[in-house]
Amino acid sequence: MKSLQVKQLVKIFDKKEIVRGISFDVENGHLLTLLGPSGCGKTTTLRIIAGIEIPDCGEIYIDEKLASRDKKICISQKERNIGMVFQDLALWPHMTVYENIEFGLKTNGIRRDERRKKIEEVLQSINMQKYARAYPQTLSGGQKQLVAIARSIITRPRLLLMDEPLSNIDVKLRQDIRREIKRIQQETNITTLYVTHDQEDAFFLSDRIAVMNEGKVEQIGSPEEIYFSPESLFVAQFVGESNCIEVNIAGINRIVTPWGELSHPTDNHTKGTAKIFFRPHQVKIDQSGCCKGKLVKRDFMGEWYRYHVSSSGVEIVLYDENSYNVGKHVKFSIKEMKLVSF
Amino acid sequence: MQKTVTLWSFLALFFCAAFFPIAWMFGSSLYEGGSFSFVYYHDIFLTGKYAGIILRSLILASVATVFATLMGVPAGFFLAKTDFFLKNFFKVCFFIPLIIPSYTIGIAWTNILGKAGFLNQFLSHYFFLSPQSIYAFIYSIYGAAFILSMNLFPLIMIMTEYALKNIPSPLEESGLVCGTFFQVMKGVTFPLISPVIFSGMMIAFVFSLSEFGVPSLLQLNVLTTQIFTQFSAFYNEKAATALAFPLIIITIVIFLLEQFKTRSKSFEILGRSGSQVFMKYHFAWLRVSGLVFCTVLFLITIILPFCSLLISVEAFKVYRDAFALAKNGIVNSVVFGGIGASILTVVGFFLGYATEKTRWKLKEGISSFVWIFFAVPATVAGIGLIKLWNRPHGAFQFIYGTIGIILIGYIIRFAPLSSRIMANFFRQMPQSIEDAGAVTGASWFRIAGNILAPLQKHGIVATWIISFIFCIGELGATILVYPPGHETLPITLFTVMANSPENIVSALTLLLIGMTLLPVGIFFLISKYVFSQKITP
Repeated sequence: MKSLQVKQLVKIFDKKEIVRGISFDVENGHLLTLLGPSGCGKTTTLRIIAGIEIPDCGEIYIDEKLASRDKKICISQKERNIGMVFQDLALWPHMTVYENIEFGLKTNGIRRDERRKKIEEVLQSINMQKYARAYPQTLSGGQKQLVAIARSIITRPRLLLMDEPLSNIDVKLRQDIRREIKRIQQETNITTLYVTHDQEDAFFLSDRIAVMNEGKVEQIGSPEEIYFSPESLFVAQFVGESNCIEVNIAGINRIVTPWGELSHPTDNHTKGTAKIFFRPHQVKIDQSGCCKGKLVKRDFMGEWYRYHVSSSGVEIVLYDENSYNVGKHVKFSIKEMKLVSF
Repeated sequence: MQKTVTLWSFLALFFCAAFFPIAWMFGSSLYEGGSFSFVYYHDIFLTGKYAGIILRSLILASVATVFATLMGVPAGFFLAKTDFFLKNFFKVCFFIPLIIPSYTIGIAWTNILGKAGFLNQFLSHYFFLSPQSIYAFIYSIYGAAFILSMNLFPLIMIMTEYALKNIPSPLEESGLVCGTFFQVMKGVTFPLISPVIFSGMMIAFVFSLSEFGVPSLLQLNVLTTQIFTQFSAFYNEKAATALAFPLIIITIVIFLLEQFKTRSKSFEILGRSGSQVFMKYHFAWLRVSGLVFCTVLFLITIILPFCSLLISVEAFKVYRDAFALAKNGIVNSVVFGGIGASILTVVGFFLGYATEKTRWKLKEGISSFVWIFFAVPATVAGIGLIKLWNRPHGAFQFIYGTIGIILIGYIIRFAPLSSRIMANFFRQMPQSIEDAGAVTGASWFRIAGNILAPLQKHGIVATWIISFIFCIGELGATILVYPPGHETLPITLFTVMANSPENIVSALTLLLIGMTLLPVGIFFLISKYVFSQKITP
């Protein structure tokens, strides 16, 4: 069953299309991440689904019921039963942790004793019982994150929306909270739509990822599909480090690379240019390799090195565990590559 | 839906209260003898009969603005850019002239420079000035401008200080690396804050132009007093309305110019966070200059007027007499001020929200429309109210013959201010705070009551206090519309000035000042004691 379906969604602000006909869906209990650079329309999409913004075109189905069609709202914000974690968390500073979490329950008319029971349960699940009477300002960054998540799931929403909740915290804490989000999402089995520009968050948390660019969805797939089989140049370049080299198509399934002509599927194209894509770790320094190059730059990355190799008029990036001096001539081989753009 | 209906209801309320009377007044001034006529406007604009009055009004406003700028800019500079003995004390004290009614300062200075005034005697004795010329000065346009500038300089001071504190220190430091202090001031600092100073000057100009209390006290024939005279002495309300026309046009043009300037220049430095580091100078000569300037300003604007009033009261018994005389006015002032401030706070809350937090396309236009009414002179507002609500056969007597008419006057005059204050507070609240409530499914009333209002409690209290201060000092509109038995303290003061001894007038003035300052003091205590209990955003 699909908990969320978005079809041909469009949103225009000041005559500019911010969301340009995007479509995707999320299976019940799954976590889908909208991944993309700033300004690509992912937060706007989230706010439309939450009912905070009104779309200009398109349909939204929640639990297979029509929530909105074009500008017409079929399910009101209140009836959508959505939880949301905001980028700045938006904890109400005049309310205690307990009161922050309680607000949604009060709104839904839950009785006091039932409210208390639910709040105690959720506080226990995030190990924050002793902070129930604390004000948000007295909590650490990580604790605030947990309270914001607790507030959003207390009503057992049909859909949980998370708008870059980890963007304002340091790297170490980020990893801890990320794990906590994954645990809570899996335990509660709440269908979640997560918005981020951070690939690590997306890869770690997601069942599926939708990569967005300039208001459109470029590709939807599992994290592995997105990483290893990008369907567009943008996805190839935005997700992870990559090498994209221009090649000529010499005929059906024949391409001319800087290192010579080779056989590769060309999707029935017989001429023109395209780009081949491969990740740095798909390149190996290998004395039996057929490509030659010169190391022009070396970056120490801890457990491995990042090398920039100048070869046949192009520069590629590769990773290797061994230390080589800059200026050394090496042979290398490309284990796998993909044609991504015509 | 709840939100839209509520906000539009308050906008409609403001529109009815403020726009209708003014529009009605101008509309009816165009009818004479049952037909359309420009006869009164012809008198004003084409015969030159009133050119002198318009010119005097413009001179008064211009000179007052220049004086206020000469006092306010250096004061703001010293308070922002250096540290000196008693700086914080001066900073607090300089607020006093801004919040007390301008005519109370006028009363004090007519005592000081009056024929028997101690400064008059001192100047004539030691500086060989004629007592008559000193007396003539204070009762002249320039004397009125001097008094008004004392009321208005804190406004320019505050704006200058705030703007200077918001210049990031690297901007000035990078100038000091290659230039002197004076070169940096001339080339970097003052050009950066000049839009703010300009804006302050424009506001001061408009306030001076529409001021009624001081010119009336000094019996000056300017536009506001002429409107009052035409209306209350000659019963020529159409001439009064026509005279209000140039005043309104000038004030609207200046307000729009100020709005345009501040938007186009966007108050770049005012928009920044106040938490950043700003540059301070620690030159000894600058500290001494600051101390000397602020001390002189303190003496002129606070010590001299207050001492003069205190001295002229002579005995405690006078306060008792004054209190007995003005008991009704004091009670009315407090009651009307309290009710008026409460209404203005509610109206300000919703109008402020509408102009700041909604996504309406007309939002900017509504904001400017509301703000323009702050420039409407009090006497014009008063005549508008009479024209609209004083119906034949007492059809609207439940409004016109009651406190209702005074409260509507307060809404016309001060709702723009209260909404602007609330809008500024709302601006500081992230949108997500409200959205977080909305996604839980809470109604807008619940969000307003449980989230917006508690989070804006500082803004609500500040709006109430400022509204209360303005309401209890209001004279120009109230004096025209107050029903019998509803006179306020300023009206009592205005009435007794002509036929009561100076000591009674001084005592009443001090009572009014005390009533104005008391809520401010209470507010400071509340904010210190109550608001510090919980941390707020």
